[in-house]
Amino acid sequence: MIRTPLRPLARILKARERGEDPGAIAAENLRLRHEAIADKSRARAEGRLLVLGAFFAVAFLTIGLRMGTIANSAPEEPRTAATGNPIIGQRADIVDRNGRILATNLETHSLYAQPQHMIDPLRAASELKAIFPELDEERLIKDFTGKRKFVWIRRQLSPEQMQQVHDIGSPALLFGPREMRLYPNGPIASHILGGASYGREDVASAEVIGVAGIERNFDSLLRDPANEGKPLQLSLDLSVQAATEEVLDGGMKLLNAKGAASVLMDIHTGEIIAMASLPDFDPNNRPQVLLTGDQSDSPLFNRAVQGVYELGSTFKIFAVAQAMELGLLNPDTMIDTKGPLTWGRFRIRDSHYLPPSMSATDIIVESSNVGTGRIAMQIGGERQRAFLTSLGLAEATPVELSEAPSGAPLLPKNWSEISTMTISFGHGISDSPLHLAAAYSSLLNGGTRVLPTLLKSDTVQQGARVVRPEVSARARSMLRQVVTRGTASMGDVEGYRVGGKTGTADKPKENGGGYYDDKVIATFASVFPADDPKYVLIVTLDEPSENSGDKPRRTAGWTAVPVAAEMIRRVAPLLGLRPQIEVSDVASVTLTSN
Amino acid sequence: MSYLAHNTQFVPTGFRKILYLNWPVIMLLMAVASAGFVMLYSVAGGSAQPWMEPQIKRFILGVVLMIGVGMVPIWFWRNMAGLAFAVSLALLVGVELFGSVGMGAQRWIDLGFIRLQPSELTKITLVMFLAAYYDWLPTNKTSHPVWVALPVIFILVPTALVLKQPDLGTALLLLFGGGAVMFLAGVHWAYFATVIGAGVGAVYAVFVSRGTTWQLLKDYQFRRIDTFLDPANDPLGAGYHITQAKIALGSGGWTGRGFMQGTQSRLNFLPEKHTDFIFTTLAEEFGFVGAFSLLALYVLIIVFCVASAMNNKDRFAALLTMGIAMTFFLFFSVNMAMVTGLAPVVGVPLPLVSYGGSAMLVLMVAFGLVQSAHVHKPR
Repeated sequence: MIRTPLRPLARILKARERGEDPGAIAAENLRLRHEAIADKSRARAEGRLLVLGAFFAVAFLTIGLRMGTIANSAPEEPRTAATGNPIIGQRADIVDRNGRILATNLETHSLYAQPQHMIDPLRAASELKAIFPELDEERLIKDFTGKRKFVWIRRQLSPEQMQQVHDIGSPALLFGPREMRLYPNGPIASHILGGASYGREDVASAEVIGVAGIERNFDSLLRDPANEGKPLQLSLDLSVQAATEEVLDGGMKLLNAKGAASVLMDIHTGEIIAMASLPDFDPNNRPQVLLTGDQSDSPLFNRAVQGVYELGSTFKIFAVAQAMELGLLNPDTMIDTKGPLTWGRFRIRDSHYLPPSMSATDIIVESSNVGTGRIAMQIGGERQRAFLTSLGLAEATPVELSEAPSGAPLLPKNWSEISTMTISFGHGISDSPLHLAAAYSSLLNGGTRVLPTLLKSDTVQQGARVVRPEVSARARSMLRQVVTRGTASMGDVEGYRVGGKTGTADKPKENGGGYYDDKVIATFASVFPADDPKYVLIVTLDEPSENSGDKPRRTAGWTAVPVAAEMIRRVAPLLGLRPQIEVSDVASVTLTSN
Repeated sequence: MSYLAHNTQFVPTGFRKILYLNWPVIMLLMAVASAGFVMLYSVAGGSAQPWMEPQIKRFILGVVLMIGVGMVPIWFWRNMAGLAFAVSLALLVGVELFGSVGMGAQRWIDLGFIRLQPSELTKITLVMFLAAYYDWLPTNKTSHPVWVALPVIFILVPTALVLKQPDLGTALLLLFGGGAVMFLAGVHWAYFATVIGAGVGAVYAVFVSRGTTWQLLKDYQFRRIDTFLDPANDPLGAGYHITQAKIALGSGGWTGRGFMQGTQSRLNFLPEKHTDFIFTTLAEEFGFVGAFSLLALYVLIIVFCVASAMNNKDRFAALLTMGIAMTFFLFFSVNMAMVTGLAPVVGVPLPLVSYGGSAMLVLMVAFGLVQSAHVHKPR
């Protein structure tokens, strides 16, 4: 770089000659030099500014273009990348025979915390406590201030609760999507549906698994993605189920019973139209399993399926029908009913006075233990056992409930002669109400075996023949007479021609050693209409007591029968049965107009 | 006539200075802030509380401060630059010490009426100090290694302190703001080329080393980097904000859903909806048109600042104006890039629009300095 000298000698000398200050020349040159430098750096600075300006412009353009492309794009929901095994949601719905929802799913949220993001743990804990009173505030504070990085707080939230938690405003309280099993009808059909709970859980989803009833029995089917969207259709009719439960509940309370069960079955298809067990529960909020005491006292216990009881005189029809099938008697055959019937140290008596000999029909109508016992002796234990087995009374019912295997009948260890006699009137053998319903259906539908089912089928079961059709018809006729002139006179429902058999069995003492004399299982097994059978209805009351009279009445005729009659009165129209009113006395009709 | 005499003679005095303020910049700042008020009103669900009203009050205070600072001669500020930088460094260290005594990440100093964030203050004082440094330094020494090393230290010290808080966004702003002043001051481009090359090389080496025997980082560190760079991999975790923000922008479309009609932000999908992510609300409710208009307002502010700097023969004033403009630019461009998914989420608010007192007041003081430089420029 060639610089101009600050003090050029020629100009200095000239200036000195003229008497001027040479310093001014130097200063002038210095100023020029500085200006030159300044100009150069300005030029460079402007170049730099241009570079920076270009950078700004590129940045603006990039952001602008980016905004344009996003604005132009369709909004896209994020999808979680699944880690580990995918948890399959979407449990199939369960519907009744008419397609009404019994169980479905609801989108909800779980609540969890990541305490390391907690700003004010004490406030968060106290506000959570205010929203969920059941939470333990001490425990929350401990969790939030300790070393834990993840804390579950609630598995399910209502939308209102979720909003309240949101309003706490803590960044550490987070929500995870959840699918929740919902039973919109509450306790209706609770024992059949069972219930569901969470299996594997993570933040983004949770596995819903069936824990009881249909939900457990069909768990893999309901969760099978191949069935997605296809609901499981049951044989139940929601309206009928609701009506039976209402009537049964009312009857149970009115008659001071501690429990009750009912089964309404289609006699030809074996479909269970309604099945109830009381006390019941809400499957949306299943109660805890009893850890001590008798499981059969828990509301979770399904008396209709798991409860095996000595069902008493309802069994008599089996003995009489088998005897008719074997040709040992016809409905008018006279049987010796002189009591007591003695076998070793056992004496069998009738509960009330009966004539010394009666027709087979009257033995059923008047419910004679002695007469039935004598018929059973003619049949013999071997054949009795085979017949009861063919009716399904000797093994657990094959109904599609996870609890069904636990409802296995109690049979005598040694099927002796005395067992044969007592079993003929329903003692010494314990079966569930569902067993009885299936056996009555098989016997009375024309004589072919039906298996109970909870799935809608609509096809008549072509089961093995149990009795000839004539025997079946005669048995129905006998049962009809029980209602018209026998022990179940309260069971007549006008127009529906109910037939049935009562059964009142003393409850055995829990520790063995005999029976209570003031605790009974009262059962009414009925069929309607008796001449053209469509449905079988079993009503069982546990320890009923009708206290309107001088002394408590406990027999089925006073307890189970009126409840069953009320039930039939309510549900028969729902089932589409037309009442047939016999106009018996034309003379009593008077013409009021000319 | 001396330089000083020339300056003082043609520089307006007293209240006449008001006429010489950079009014376009003031108008633009008001427009941007007003957009912010509207958005804060919207995200509060149609209510002045809890955000809009305090924000307006603070903005008015900010405008008064800006004009006040703007009326003070620029040479006063140049003389104060060293002191201001020293004070802000002391405050940063103080916060560091105080923070280690107290619990958690304390970034504030409570002045009673406002909680001052020293890192915010440092953004301005660093630029001021560097401008003063280059004003003092003879231009022929600008690229001398010793005189380059000094400002590098001035930049790195506060950056390290802020990074330790930790506040990555502010640290980056300091780094780039300071670097921009050095660049504009005329430091030889070879220095920048070296630094950029080294940086790129280091990042490249780290990524190339992945999966080899001489891997420079642990596997989990790589995974963190992956999530940081591409939050879409983790839409419910680290990428939650950004995914929701993109949905908001996308659902806004070209013209938006309309004022107060935004769902994404108003339904609480975005936790930072009133601060760092307020731009998403704007984009959702006013669409591309609204979002681009806001961007245009910001660009105009930058343009007027650059114009002011180019017409300013005073080196300190020009460098200060450009440094502040650069910081402001980094502020909103990093925020917008982050929200639109161009850049990782580093936690930078949208200047003047996001709710927050400290940042806004510091920014208004910075524009006061720009005003002072504009009013007192040599004519």
